[in-house]
Formats: sequence, C-alpha cells, structure tokens
Amino acid sequence: MEIRMDFLNWLDHETSMKILGCLQDPPDLVRVSSVSCSWRHFVIANGLCKQLCLRMFPHFRRVYCVIEPTCGIEKALEVGHSKFVEWETLKREHKAYAFLAQGCLLFPFKECILDAISASSTDDYPVESIRNTLLQGDRSEGRPSYWSSKGQHDIAVPETLVYKLAADICVITEINIQPFQAYFQRDSPIYSAISVRFCMGHPKCPMGDPLGEPLDDTADDKFIWTYSSLEFPMAQENSLQNFKLPEPVVCIGGILQIELLGRVQRQEADGLFYICVAHVQVKGRPMSPAFGAEMLGPSGKFVLKGLSWDPTSFLPEDDDDTYHGEHVHGGVDLEQIANM
Amino acid sequence: MSSSAENPTLTTEITKPSTEIATETAQSAKKINLKTSDDQIFEVEESVAMEFATVKSFFEDAPSSTDTVPLPNVPAKPFSQVIEFCKEQIKFKANPDETEKKKSNSEFVKEKTNEDLVEMIPVANYLEIKDLLDVLNQAVADRIQNRSVEYVRSFFGIDNDFTSEEEALLREEHAWAFEDVDED
Repeated sequence: MEIRMDFLNWLDHETSMKILGCLQDPPDLVRVSSVSCSWRHFVIANGLCKQLCLRMFPHFRRVYCVIEPTCGIEKALEVGHSKFVEWETLKREHKAYAFLAQGCLLFPFKECILDAISASSTDDYPVESIRNTLLQGDRSEGRPSYWSSKGQHDIAVPETLVYKLAADICVITEINIQPFQAYFQRDSPIYSAISVRFCMGHPKCPMGDPLGEPLDDTADDKFIWTYSSLEFPMAQENSLQNFKLPEPVVCIGGILQIELLGRVQRQEADGLFYICVAHVQVKGRPMSPAFGAEMLGPSGKFVLKGLSWDPTSFLPEDDDDTYHGEHVHGGVDLEQIANM
Repeated sequence: MSSSAENPTLTTEITKPSTEIATETAQSAKKINLKTSDDQIFEVEESVAMEFATVKSFFEDAPSSTDTVPLPNVPAKPFSQVIEFCKEQIKFKANPDETEKKKSNSEFVKEKTNEDLVEMIPVANYLEIKDLLDVLNQAVADRIQNRSVEYVRSFFGIDNDFTSEEEALLREEHAWAFEDVDED
C-alpha cells in the first residue's frame, strides 16, 4: 500500500482544524488525540475539546480556570506564564472539558433537588412549609402535605420557591410541579398559578451547610440568576405537571427558583387568593462527584473543579436509592417539624 | 425563495434563459489544459476549470494565456475525481436545488474509498474548492466517528509514535472515551 502522509503535516492549519472540528462527539476528539504525538499536540494546543464543549454548552464560557486534585488554584493561576505552565493548563483543560461535555450529555438522569431554601411567603409555618414540596404526592402519614403562600387580594402578586440542587453543576432538562388541591375544603379548590417561570443561578455568598430551616425570604438579594426561562402556562389540575425546558440548561452554582405568576383560586373563608404546591421535582444530570464549581464573587465566573475521571460516572445507579433517600430525608425533617 | 435571495444575479439568469444559455454554451466550448504533478494532461472545460480558484486566478493574472497550466501539487488520480465533483456542481449552479445538491454530494462521497477521500483533501485545498473541501472534511469526520484509535491510524496512514507506557497512560487517563467504539 502506498504510504500516505499525515494530513496535519501537509494541510494548512485552518483545514486541519476544520476536519477535526467536524467531530461532534467528545470521545471522538479524545481518541483522535491518542493517535500520535503530533495529533495529540494539535488537539490540545488548539483547545479543541474546550471549543466543542463551549459550542455544546455555552454556559461554560463563565469558567475562569480549571483545577484538579493535583493542581490547586494557586498553581492554576500561577503568574509568569512559562511555556511549561501554559502546556500544563491546556492539558488540564483538554481532559476536563472532554469529560465535562460527555458528562453533560450522558451522566445518569436523576432527581436534582437536594433541599428547600426559602419561599417568598408561607401562610402557616411549619405546617405549610416549602419543605413539604420535597415529598411525593399531596399527603404524608395521613396528613395533607403542601406549601401554601400567604393570601392576597391582588391576583397578580407572584410567589417564589427556591431550592438547592444536588450538585454545584447540574444539567436541568425538566421540572415537574403538582399544584395542591385542598381536598379538605368545600368543592376541593386547586390553588394553582396562572403560569410558572424558572431561574437558575448561584448564591452571592457561600451558603452554610446544612442549610437549616427554610424561611420566608425574598430570594433576589441572596442569589444571582444567570438563566431565566420563558413562562409556561400552568393548568388548574391536581396532577404532576411537566415543564420541559426548550433545551437542557446548565445550572452553575446549584440554585433553582420557581416563580409562580398569577393566582387563580380564592379561598372561600377569607376571600383571599393563594398559591399552594404539593410537590416539586427537578430532573436532570448532576455533575457530581466528577465536577464541582467554586463561584468567584458576584461576577458569575467560577473555578471548574475536575474531581474524578471515573468511567463508572456514566453508569446508572443500581437502584433509585438517591431518589428515595431525598424523600426519607424530607420525611425525617417533617417529623422534626411536627414535633416542634 | 431562499436560494434566489442568496444569489441575486440568479433571477436575471432565470428570466432571460435563452441568452444566458447561449453564452454558457459558447463558454463551455473553450477547453483548458491542466498538467498534473505526474505529468498527465487533462483537457477540462473552462467552466469546470474556473471552479478551481487557483486556476481562475492564474487566468486573471494572464488573461490571454493559452498555455497548459501546471498543477505541481496535484496527482492525476485524485484530480480526476475532483473534476467529476466539479462537473456535478456546475449543474447546480445553473439550477440550484439544495436537496438535490446534498443528495448528489453524499452519493459522490459514498462511492469513494477512504484513500480516495484522504487524497482528495490536499487537492481540493490546493485548488481552493471550498464546497468540495467542506464535503470532504465532513465525510472524513463521519468515517472516523466512533472508531478505535487503531482504525483512525490506518485510515490516515499514521504511525503510532507513542511509547507503550505513554499510550497506556493516555488510555488510563481517558478510559471513559475508549469504551463502546464501533468494530474496525
């Protein structure tokens, strides 16, 4: 067979970039970078994995630098860029962005809510706490389980529910909300909202851990929202209503806010409008334990922490332990609340 | 609608078909001789030769030249395939139909061996045939997609110059990317 030459040697830079730029799958780029020394150098030096990842998920343009266990932030930001440091940075980015892009596509799909942070108002705390929305269905241990806003004369007054997600970085695809039907009231009214909107972002300051009791709070002074969805109409129906985002959204910083816009149901007893929610689910792919994020002040820039490159990260868990675990956790808290 | 917007001159071509076609025929009657690196001479219709930006600019620099144009970086075998592609392309210039064009392009690519594709890239690159380059780049990417490292090496005829330790380390570091590839 005729000996062919390596195209990286006889094509101009732009054409070589174009050919490799046609590869759309992160593992393809990784394998191409393992073909030979010159190919590896080409893929890494041109940051092709980073480019692909940013093309797929522009949210990661806010990455300030990439660190990993063997390279802390001091080392990553080392000044006096020598060629060696520069190359180490490129290599680290190559590895991290390839795995990140693939993780955003293929890490297992899970329930992403870790805990409730706050509601804009709660009518009767703790009986009607936002924490009840972590529990599936509209009753728990024989008692109604839901969150209720305070009552308003004006149907336009919005409410917000804020949740902490299971990982610093989550790729969120859909949100399910079940409005609460007050089956114990006459005519069983359903206290839904007219529409919902979702915001994602990060806290202005690092949050304490554990979170403590969810209190009434206007969330806007504590969080910075970097994504806001369109408004989705909500039906006045007692069912887990599905709101699918037009495309997967990368939430960096692990905070999700549900805005409940407009009230539809008046309570007979006091003539006020309320919004009540029985259950909330957030579906997506948490990037932990492979990746973490450390926010750098209010700018929205963050340090991407590559923590492990374990191929088993792609495997679904043996059972739905995490999922049920969340609910057990919620249940324990609810018991504590009940004992208060 | 969209294609006429992309190419405003097209409308005139369509509204005055008789004169345009007449000139086209007159033009295509003219032949140009192109000499490949392995000394083969190709007699190519001028309209096809003008698809090669490199040849076109040769004539722009020397409009009255009747000489054979040397193509020192172009071997005959891939060149004949490049001509085949450009002949097809010209049909779509007169009568643009994106769906048909795509179909024709993918048929062109489908019939080619891996070696054909790889050999045509530098030719298309040297002759500056942008459409063909785009088609070839995508075709090559499609063929190495989800393939093993060994397959990619043999596809391009690349020697593995990693030591076995280096390669083992690479595979370990990126173990996740080496699973589930198509069989060679």
